[in-house]
Amino acid sequence: MLNFIVRRLLAILPVLLAVSLLTFLIASLLPGDLAMVILGDQATPENVAALRHDMGLDQPLWWRYLSWLGHVLQGDLGRSFRTGQTVLQAVSERIPVSLELMLMAEFVGLLIGVPIAIACAARAGGAFDRFMTGSAFAMLSMPSFLVAILLIYLFAVELHWLPATGYVPFTEEPLANLRFFVLPALTLALAEWPGIMRVLRSDMIATLQEDYIALAKAKGLKPSRILFVHALKPSSLTLVTVTGINIGRLLGGTLIVESIFALPGIGRLLVGAIYTRDLVILQGVVLLVACGFVIVNFIVDMLYAVLDPRIRHGHA
Amino acid sequence: MTNLAAAACRRAPIFLVAAFALLPLAEPAQAQKSGGSITVGQELDIPGFDPLKVGVYDTSTFTAAAAIFDTLVTLDDKGEAAPKLAESWTHSDDYKTWTFKLRKGVTFHDGTPFNAQAFKENFDRQKDPANKCRCAFYITNVKEVLAPDEYTVVYNLTDPSVNLPATITIQSQNNVVHSPTAWKTKGDDYNRNPVGTGPYILKSWTAGDRMVLEKNPNYWDKGRPYLDRIVLKPLPDAQSRFASLQSGEVDIIWDDENDADNIMKAQKDPKLTVHTYKGSGAQVYAFNTKVAPFDDVRVRQALVMAIDRPKMSQAISNGLSRPASNPYGDGSWVKCKDDGALPYDVEKAKALLKDYGKPVEFKMLVTATPRGRMIGQVLQQFWKRAGAAMEIDQVDQATIPSRAFSRQFQLTPWRIVDLADPDPQMYANFRTGSPLALAGFSDPELDRLLDHARVTADVGQRTEDYCAISRLINKEAIWFWTFQNTYYALSSAKLKGFPKIYNSVIDVSNTWLE
Amino acid sequence: MATLELSMQDEVAAEPLRRKRKLGLLFWIASVWLVIILALAILAPVLPLQNPVDMDMLERRAAFSSEHWLGTDGLGRDELARLIFGARVSLTVGLIAPMIGLGIGGALGLLAGYFRGRFETLVVGSMDVLLAFPPLIFALAVTAYLGQSIPNLTIILGVLGIPAFMRVARAATLTLARREFVIAAEALGASHARILLRELLPNVILPLLAFFLLGVAVTIVVEGALSFLGLGVPPPTASWGSMIGEGRDSLDVAPRLAFLPAAGLFLTVLAFNLVGDTMRALTDPRQGAL
Repeated sequence: MLNFIVRRLLAILPVLLAVSLLTFLIASLLPGDLAMVILGDQATPENVAALRHDMGLDQPLWWRYLSWLGHVLQGDLGRSFRTGQTVLQAVSERIPVSLELMLMAEFVGLLIGVPIAIACAARAGGAFDRFMTGSAFAMLSMPSFLVAILLIYLFAVELHWLPATGYVPFTEEPLANLRFFVLPALTLALAEWPGIMRVLRSDMIATLQEDYIALAKAKGLKPSRILFVHALKPSSLTLVTVTGINIGRLLGGTLIVESIFALPGIGRLLVGAIYTRDLVILQGVVLLVACGFVIVNFIVDMLYAVLDPRIRHGHA
Repeated sequence: MTNLAAAACRRAPIFLVAAFALLPLAEPAQAQKSGGSITVGQELDIPGFDPLKVGVYDTSTFTAAAAIFDTLVTLDDKGEAAPKLAESWTHSDDYKTWTFKLRKGVTFHDGTPFNAQAFKENFDRQKDPANKCRCAFYITNVKEVLAPDEYTVVYNLTDPSVNLPATITIQSQNNVVHSPTAWKTKGDDYNRNPVGTGPYILKSWTAGDRMVLEKNPNYWDKGRPYLDRIVLKPLPDAQSRFASLQSGEVDIIWDDENDADNIMKAQKDPKLTVHTYKGSGAQVYAFNTKVAPFDDVRVRQALVMAIDRPKMSQAISNGLSRPASNPYGDGSWVKCKDDGALPYDVEKAKALLKDYGKPVEFKMLVTATPRGRMIGQVLQQFWKRAGAAMEIDQVDQATIPSRAFSRQFQLTPWRIVDLADPDPQMYANFRTGSPLALAGFSDPELDRLLDHARVTADVGQRTEDYCAISRLINKEAIWFWTFQNTYYALSSAKLKGFPKIYNSVIDVSNTWLE
Repeated sequence: MATLELSMQDEVAAEPLRRKRKLGLLFWIASVWLVIILALAILAPVLPLQNPVDMDMLERRAAFSSEHWLGTDGLGRDELARLIFGARVSLTVGLIAPMIGLGIGGALGLLAGYFRGRFETLVVGSMDVLLAFPPLIFALAVTAYLGQSIPNLTIILGVLGIPAFMRVARAATLTLARREFVIAAEALGASHARILLRELLPNVILPLLAFFLLGVAVTIVVEGALSFLGLGVPPPTASWGSMIGEGRDSLDVAPRLAFLPAAGLFLTVLAFNLVGDTMRALTDPRQGAL
């Protein structure tokens, strides 16, 4: 097992390195000279040249990459030229929001997806199953920017059940915090559950055809017991993967949902950084997010290996 | 000023900051109530307050700055300069030296006393070439600021300015007064931990989320402010911003006329109040006259004549936008009998383009927002009808200034904002050699008029100069104006005491809840 | 799709043994819908439609009439013409982008699954890099660099889809490579090229094609999200996504402006999905393999 962990850990190092290179390249190739953006109306050629020199922008690209990487390895991700915040400050302010949104969205997604999947698998091929599998992905075709505003009109403006926009930290007012997250989480979950549902359903149908299920049936166990105890547990393996991938995906922020519901998450931070050419923030945050994604995937792999020993020896 | 007066009549009385300007005669029974808190829905995240870091303040920052900081001078409800941190002022005969007497006994939130030295340090910090502050551009006309004694500040200007006190009322990066102790001790962190003399103190601030301002118990203007707390929140999406106002999450939101559906809905809603202010200035566009096809005056004139402004107003704002024929607008004291505006005439436009001979194809910079796209498409449509092909070049807002300053554009949107005097912007936008003279057009007569208008004291004479300038620009069509500036804020009907939106600033620092 | 990610999971990895069943009425309805939409999209320029970008600024958000069958949009343009021309754009992007993913991702996955070893590690690693990078940032940066156009948009969405196709192709190849017919071909001394093209490709292509149809659906939706952010098709060109985004501003004045394109999108995605599912059920290579 230890050997396996070490092997996997070694494999993610080059990935992280490549991510850092890609991050740096994309940030550097953005049009709009950084010095020019900072100086704005003061951008005389002399000022631009001086600032470029101060910021090291006149150095060759590879040198800038290496020196950035060097700082990063020493734990120094840099400071925004615009707000004066360090990358770590900026991220630590935003990450609780993105994490909570992601967890709640995943939770609601599972809440919708799992029961439907079980119901579908129980009568695979039946009318309910066919209707749900058919329409699940079509649900995806409702763009979140439309769903979000419809939910706001319904639950906030008309019914006054939930707040339209806003956020308070969980540590200050836990209940209010949860209320703020219901609509955004629901918006995201409406796009998440079809994937969850489809994967779990397929898996359960396969499991239900295993010999031991037939045995359980023969022994006269109740169908509900077979479904929930004997079939759901082994089938949830893939669910771990899907949830892992979703979590990794949502880590990068969900710009549209964050903007509409005014949640201070990672997505808005990143896009703001692009628009203002705040390259330090952009590079640093993208790198951290990508690391987060890689690490979540790593954990999922580990979980998988723990749950299913064959993987350690076979091919991942 | 008829428009202004009309706008003012519909609004609750405005309480001025300076004690002696508080005229009891205009006060009906409506009394200000202390206590309570409001939430303001803004368009953008505030990047910070240190002018060296952020360069220039945007509209969202103005609102916070108006609460945390004070300026020397403010505008009263007639739009005239009134005392704030300065109690009185005098000028030299040539208008090149202005002397301000400062209010005594004012302290910053951190206890540092406010005096002439503190003010001078603020100015010097912006002006110092070593600091390379973007903000320095806006004070190039000020040679130096002196502090001859503890409560006297002297502005020495490079050119005469007859209206200086009014032009330094906007709560901008250049005019708000920071505590020198604070920026020296906090360094890089000062940007997000501003310290001023204003009615509110920054309590907490989560980037991208809430900024909480608490009442300053030691504010120099006794009895103010009224609210205990102001919360500022960025709500970037216009639709959910308005929904938040409707559902009561926020008490006042910034808005603009392109959100006309919601403005009209708010007008019908007894629980909401629509605040508008018809400011001076306009939404403007600059041709780059150094590149084809805009190096030919016929093309420029044709494009301007192809725009049907009343129709465009219908299309983009249900008719709320007020067509502009000059850069000053009805809100300005510059009133022209003849501003030389080109008429709307598609046939003439077609003829001019035909006369030009070559096909007219060009790109126009447009902000990548629903608003930008809508305006871009409407202009595109007008020009297509006249026979010119415009391609929309969507760029983010931060890119437009850098593209404009480096002249990497054919046609770019710009804005002449509501300021008390036309000089700063007109001089910067049209004088030969100015970095902001985007059109790249040089004309000795235009330069002469600009120079003359800036050193003349007589209002009649200046008006004539500015009208001549407008005629010249309209004739050459180096820039064009579509609509005058109208500023909007929508609030809950319970919010009272909201002043005119001078300088485009949503200033909630003297409001109260009924 | 709340975000801009292509969430095409390893769907194919766990499809059940499904009994063969007849294509069914739904399949045919879906196919007919797709044929109609495709025909309208292809024929749009020759159909007697109004110009989709011509504005009648005084006739904004007009109701249904004989002149404008589906009324006009927020800038007074004919809604029907915009819907049909919008279908053209949405389908072009929606079909070509997954083809890029299918071509590149499929080939990489096939090769990686067959040759294994270093090459596989490299391919899987670089796909991880692509997946780890926030897709929206990728889209924003590339658009800022290359400029906004339909081809660029298609390329961006195509590249973002490569990892998913790679995974599907690799997973399918891994199972197939150990099957009797491949081992037999190897034993007979067939060349790599022959095994890849003659033995593996025909079997791998089937799950890929089924996955492709899901890709079409997801891409059309993601294009809409990008349009909403100003990164989609450049105006005045319409796409269904950009129309929903524009219509969203007048939801209570004229809700149809958002809901008509949304309905088109919904039905088309549903149709692609139904057809894709049916095809996958018919062609799943691993029936009986587990």
